[in-house]
Amino acid sequence: MRTIQDLRRDEKDTQSLRSRSGVIFFFLLILIISGVFKILQLTILDRVNYEAESDKNRIINVPIYPARGLIKLEDGTLIAENIVTKDLYIKTKLYKSSMDQVEKLRNKVLDENRKIDQLQVSIQDEEKIWLARNLSEQELAKYEVQKNSIPNIQLEAKLRRYLPHKNLFSHAIGHLGLINMDERLSLSRAEYPDDSFIGKVGLEKSYEKTLRGKAGISLMEVDVYGNKIREINRVFPDKPFNLTLTLDLRLQKIAQEELANRRGAVVALDPTTGFIKALVSSPDYNPNILNGSESGSPVSQSSLEDSPFFNRAISGLYPPASTIKPFIGLLGLEEELITESTIIEDKGFFQLKEEGRKYRGWKEDGHGRVDLKKAIVESSDVYFYELASKLTIDRISAFLLRFGFGQISGIDLINESKSILPTRNWKLGNIGEAWFVGDTINIGIGQGYISSTPLQLAVSLSAIANKGKIFQPKLIRNNQLDDYEPDLLMEVQIKNPKHWNIIEKSMISVINSWNGTAHNLYEEGGITIAGKTGTAQIKSLTDQDLTVREEYEGIRKDIKNRDHALFASYGPVPHPNLVVVVIVENGESGSAVAAPIAKRLIEQYQININES
Amino acid sequence: MSNRNPLDYSLNKPLVTSFNPFRYFFKDITLVLALIAVLIFGLAMLYSSSGQSFSMVMRQSIYVFAGLIMMIFISHLKPDSYKNILMHSYWIGLLLLIYVLFNPAEGYTTSRWIDMGFFQFQPSEIIRLILPLSIVAYLHRKESKIRLEDWLYTTLAALMCSYLVFEQPDLGTSIIVFTSGIIPIYLAGLPYRVIAAYLGMLAIVSPFIWSSLLDYQKQRVLTYFDSNVDPLGDGWNIAQSQTAIGSGGFFGKGYLEGTQSQLNFIPESHSDFIFSVIGEEFGLLGITCLFIVYGIIIWRIFKIGLSAQSPFERLACCSLGFIFLLFILTNVSMVIGIIPVVGVPLPLISQGGTSIVVHLLAFGVILSAKRPQL
Repeated sequence: MRTIQDLRRDEKDTQSLRSRSGVIFFFLLILIISGVFKILQLTILDRVNYEAESDKNRIINVPIYPARGLIKLEDGTLIAENIVTKDLYIKTKLYKSSMDQVEKLRNKVLDENRKIDQLQVSIQDEEKIWLARNLSEQELAKYEVQKNSIPNIQLEAKLRRYLPHKNLFSHAIGHLGLINMDERLSLSRAEYPDDSFIGKVGLEKSYEKTLRGKAGISLMEVDVYGNKIREINRVFPDKPFNLTLTLDLRLQKIAQEELANRRGAVVALDPTTGFIKALVSSPDYNPNILNGSESGSPVSQSSLEDSPFFNRAISGLYPPASTIKPFIGLLGLEEELITESTIIEDKGFFQLKEEGRKYRGWKEDGHGRVDLKKAIVESSDVYFYELASKLTIDRISAFLLRFGFGQISGIDLINESKSILPTRNWKLGNIGEAWFVGDTINIGIGQGYISSTPLQLAVSLSAIANKGKIFQPKLIRNNQLDDYEPDLLMEVQIKNPKHWNIIEKSMISVINSWNGTAHNLYEEGGITIAGKTGTAQIKSLTDQDLTVREEYEGIRKDIKNRDHALFASYGPVPHPNLVVVVIVENGESGSAVAAPIAKRLIEQYQININES
Repeated sequence: MSNRNPLDYSLNKPLVTSFNPFRYFFKDITLVLALIAVLIFGLAMLYSSSGQSFSMVMRQSIYVFAGLIMMIFISHLKPDSYKNILMHSYWIGLLLLIYVLFNPAEGYTTSRWIDMGFFQFQPSEIIRLILPLSIVAYLHRKESKIRLEDWLYTTLAALMCSYLVFEQPDLGTSIIVFTSGIIPIYLAGLPYRVIAAYLGMLAIVSPFIWSSLLDYQKQRVLTYFDSNVDPLGDGWNIAQSQTAIGSGGFFGKGYLEGTQSQLNFIPESHSDFIFSVIGEEFGLLGITCLFIVYGIIIWRIFKIGLSAQSPFERLACCSLGFIFLLFILTNVSMVIGIIPVVGVPLPLISQGGTSIVVHLLAFGVILSAKRPQL
């Protein structure tokens, strides 16, 4: 039985328990209060921040990239498309240790016609070495069989740029490449992630924005491991535009075939619209390799030293040589220093004064009595030495500038070189010397300080073909309509329009006269072509004691010192629709090497036009 | 609470009341209902936080069910009949703590788990409740007054367990274990002069203890309290659980709709961090409701404890009440990021059979302190 004492003790005990409980509770109260405040802060005060944080955790923006815009010809032929390629790659860090697997891949999976050395040349991403691009059905089947025995080699399917004509349009279309550090600085990662391909050169570069379109966004919910759970929302990408090329497939093919991997360039344009019909620079390369849609080497071994990536058609600077003579002749007529019938005695050399330096013509004995027509037809240097010396550099520069010499044409490609049109000030600024009359004399035959790109020469020539009008050269038709209004780039106004005809007649005679420098092109009943040959000297003939031939033979020994062959032409007269400039580096003879290419192009173009 | 006349207690009650079988069986219906409510809510949260794993919920249900049966069983025993067992169960706990240091379960970087083949458990889960109960049993093993050396023995017992847990290594839990041992000692009336002596000793000894600690032990202690060092990635875990609770707002995102938990951003969301799942899916409202039910449980514990007849029962109930409250506070404080990470589950809710069963056994002890209602 419990006694009163027991109860008293119990009571005392409970009292102590209560007071001590109070002490402990006081300590725990600190935790309780701070906990309550923290929870209120989290759920009420900072709720918005944490909601945002939570969404940031789970929602990621996955960009959706539209397929790159296609490039087609006017007739719809695909020039640049996108194909799904199945590629094999190996991680760079695994490459060295997996040589046996690579060997196995080579022997058991890949076609024999994939050259072994091509395995080494493939593009290297930072992390991957591409072993084979664009596997064939057969290769794919073989890979499936061997897959487990070559675990380090992996397959990736990707949409890649593909040019069905491979090298043919390389210098016009250009190629893509992995985005580099410089491009990274100006482009957001959302539009261009680190592994994206971007236009590097050619139309791929100049129309990059148009071709790429605007990326769409897919809002994806992801878990902590980055696994996609579901799509919350989607903003579709803007469809990129397709581009229509002005180029002509057959002209391209002819130009490529005729240049035959020699160093050189062909530019053909329609003077009535400015549309480029052929733009070929040789040697060329295979853009598909750089685009990652084919494997192998982008350039052939033989062309490696000939700068195959250099676009000679728009970037190569060459002396215009004798092709400048029609322009100088026209200026002479305009300035009334000569008339059609002015005669100059060509003895094979020109001297400013007695006992002065002899400026020699290409023909040792001279052309005899020469009028303007004969001077152009036979390409008399002495005639133009004398004319240029009278014209002075100021007048020549001012006149040539009106034809586009010394300017860029503004074609829709990058890397167009600005041709050089020297003036007194130019020489003072760039060479640091005063202008001498001798310099002017050299300019008279398109040598010396003056230089042109094939494109610029074609643009300038289109003024003569058009009797003054120059249209903006273009590779892309930005208007699909038939009644396309060409952009006038500039118009050369001359005092007497008859002078156009005088020059044109002379240029026709270059081909049609028995003594024309390009008479080899003449064909009875053929189309009428106006043209001018040119032979751009690389080594100037200066030593007065040697004859031209002696000197020339010495120089010829080294191929790289041989003259460039030029031919600038248009046809058919009287309604020219194609201006063609051909240059073959170290080709020596404008008439024999360059001119036939131009003729074939003009002829083929007439056939094309009649067909369509 | 009112200061009643001690005589009221036993004499003013009617000798015969109407017999209520529920009240007889469950002893304290409010407490048992509150427990069951929390347990069922816990199972629901486990389903949500385990990636909707039905098997995990089933497993947990078995423990819950077994625990409840044992709780009811113990609640009908007389405290005197198991007091001795409780007292000696300390040695079992101690042996387990030693055992785990030498034979830890494989696959962990620390020696916290014992592998029993079909299930794994942490001895520290058990010792957290065994230790205070055995201390209470030891202090009140006789009717007589508690002797001075009893205070020393029990304090040493708590220190011993705490040290063994520290060696696992688990500094956070070792502090919790020590606290759960010291609470009953203090409540039992640890004389203030002994406390003063302890503190004096601590002041003298602690520099020696610190210098006698090995480098890795010092490192462990320093790392634990240094918020700049984050060797286990706790910082990220806390940020994620805060984000979960904060983004839940007042009403929560809805059951099974918590993106932080369903998409696995919350680490250990089904065990130690389950509170953040509750916060995310049920918001401040849900948290408040849970706290109210927890509050009811604690209120009943103290109610039973303070009206119990023997000093053993009173001490056991009050100690367990504080320890229960301490566990809740520790877990919640850790999850919301106001104290460092401690391996304390949310009582009765977090996944873990051992923890649930041991807690329910403790509630059995509490319920047994209530006089059977005839």
